[in-house]
Amino acid sequence: MTALVTFDRVTLGYGHRKILTDLSFDIPEGDFLGVVGPNGAGKTTILRAILGSLEPMAGTVRLKPGLRFGYVPQRDQVDYNFPLKVIDVVMMGRYDRIGLGRRPAGRDRALAQAALEHVGIPHLAEHQLAALSGGQRQRSLIARALVGEPDVLVLDEPTNGMDLVSTTQILGLVRELHERDHLTVLMVSHALNEVANYVERIALTLQGGFRIGTVDEIMNEKTLTAMYGIPVEVTNDDGHRIVVARRHAQPVGAHRHA
Amino acid sequence: MHNLETILLFKDALYGSLLIAIACSVLGVYVVFRRIVFVGAAMAQLSSAGIALALFLTGIGLTLGAVTQPLTMSLLMTLAGAVFFGLGGGRPRIPPDATIGVTYVVAAAAGILLISKAATGEAHDMFLQGNILGITVHDMWVLLGVALPVLLVHLIFYKEFLFVSFDRETARTLGYNVTFWNLFLYVTLGLVIAFAMQFAGVMLVFNFLVLPAVTGMLVARNMRGTFIVAVLSALIAAVIGFSLSVPFDLPTGPAMIACSGALVLCGWMTRLVQRR
Repeated sequence: MTALVTFDRVTLGYGHRKILTDLSFDIPEGDFLGVVGPNGAGKTTILRAILGSLEPMAGTVRLKPGLRFGYVPQRDQVDYNFPLKVIDVVMMGRYDRIGLGRRPAGRDRALAQAALEHVGIPHLAEHQLAALSGGQRQRSLIARALVGEPDVLVLDEPTNGMDLVSTTQILGLVRELHERDHLTVLMVSHALNEVANYVERIALTLQGGFRIGTVDEIMNEKTLTAMYGIPVEVTNDDGHRIVVARRHAQPVGAHRHA
Repeated sequence: MHNLETILLFKDALYGSLLIAIACSVLGVYVVFRRIVFVGAAMAQLSSAGIALALFLTGIGLTLGAVTQPLTMSLLMTLAGAVFFGLGGGRPRIPPDATIGVTYVVAAAAGILLISKAATGEAHDMFLQGNILGITVHDMWVLLGVALPVLLVHLIFYKEFLFVSFDRETARTLGYNVTFWNLFLYVTLGLVIAFAMQFAGVMLVFNFLVLPAVTGMLVARNMRGTFIVAVLSALIAAVIGFSLSVPFDLPTGPAMIACSGALVLCGWMTRLVQRR
């Protein structure tokens, strides 16, 4: 498999403050990688380095030439104050292809409509984005990411603030896009239990620590106890892994975070 | 008939007001949607401080050619503000609204202090109310020379300005230089404010930046409609305010603002009816 993204001994941080050091890993074509960790542990930092908006303090981040990302931001990064129709928002995913100072053409609109069909909401094209439910908004933003025909679909906390049903539907949709379209997917989330049952590999970031591997390699008691620093149990319920930290669990190692 | 003749006497001032109304209301849509209303107010105050500084320097005999002209100084101050706010306005340590507040109040006080010591003896409330009736045919052409290119830029790059305003992170991942487009938006805003301030004063410029866009936001259901309603309501407020102020000897700026306020009220009532 061709590596689309390669981290080679990368140190990331802001100003003089290092967040993550000596990261080395690849994201191969066709991967479905979940970057998981609590707030402030560096997962958004990794994402920014991949998307090119953060320069590494050391090491190199290499991208396959011409690599295109389809980015789905956190829902609250989008300003719903703007009175925009769903179809107009989806067409934004093609703005860089349309070119500076040029308006979207009929083909762009048709592709945006097709992207909406792809994510199961073609009937919402003419609705106001602000009037949609959380799940529908997220589907619209996924459609916008897809309409630019990306090599990698990147989702930043796609289920943040969603109820159980919407969360399951959105993660199911992303999994379906990966399997059906063989799309490489990179998903950032703080919810290990949610992500672990959909992705193929996990990159776990905890205060200063980083571990990447297959779901089996990461989702076991030994690794998670070592990473989180408290006794962690992993149960397997009909193929669904559930991570549980016992009440009153005491720290067992050097790693601990509030 | 007599009233019409009186109004026609000031037709250049009316045309000038209409140009200010159009330019400010178009940019005001971004100002309101991006929640940078008080950046507009702070930049208008910076502009007035620039005018006051020019008059003060001239008053003490320190003339440096074009640099000490009120327009030049106003433009320099406003564009400095545009760059400052466009680049984030000291974001890392101080909350953005506090930065805006500091800029606003310091610029306002500086303007009043400087003008109080300016030999020309201009009253400081002129900065607040402006002198819209003083617009000459030459001023009108100057305003057109600024408003037309700015509006053209906004027409051509509507898609880019909208995208970086709506979702800057996604715009960045698609290769947009978000800093550049933000700065570009703020510079066009600074240009319009600096020129409008020469005639309209802080209050009227602020009015045309905010109230028509709010009316548009209340009435329209999409971006195109918001722009159209904003421009139309600004034009209606300018024409009615102007027409009432001349025959009734009312201050023109506040008359226009009162009309803008009435239109916001109409917009709000329209919204209520739409929701039922």
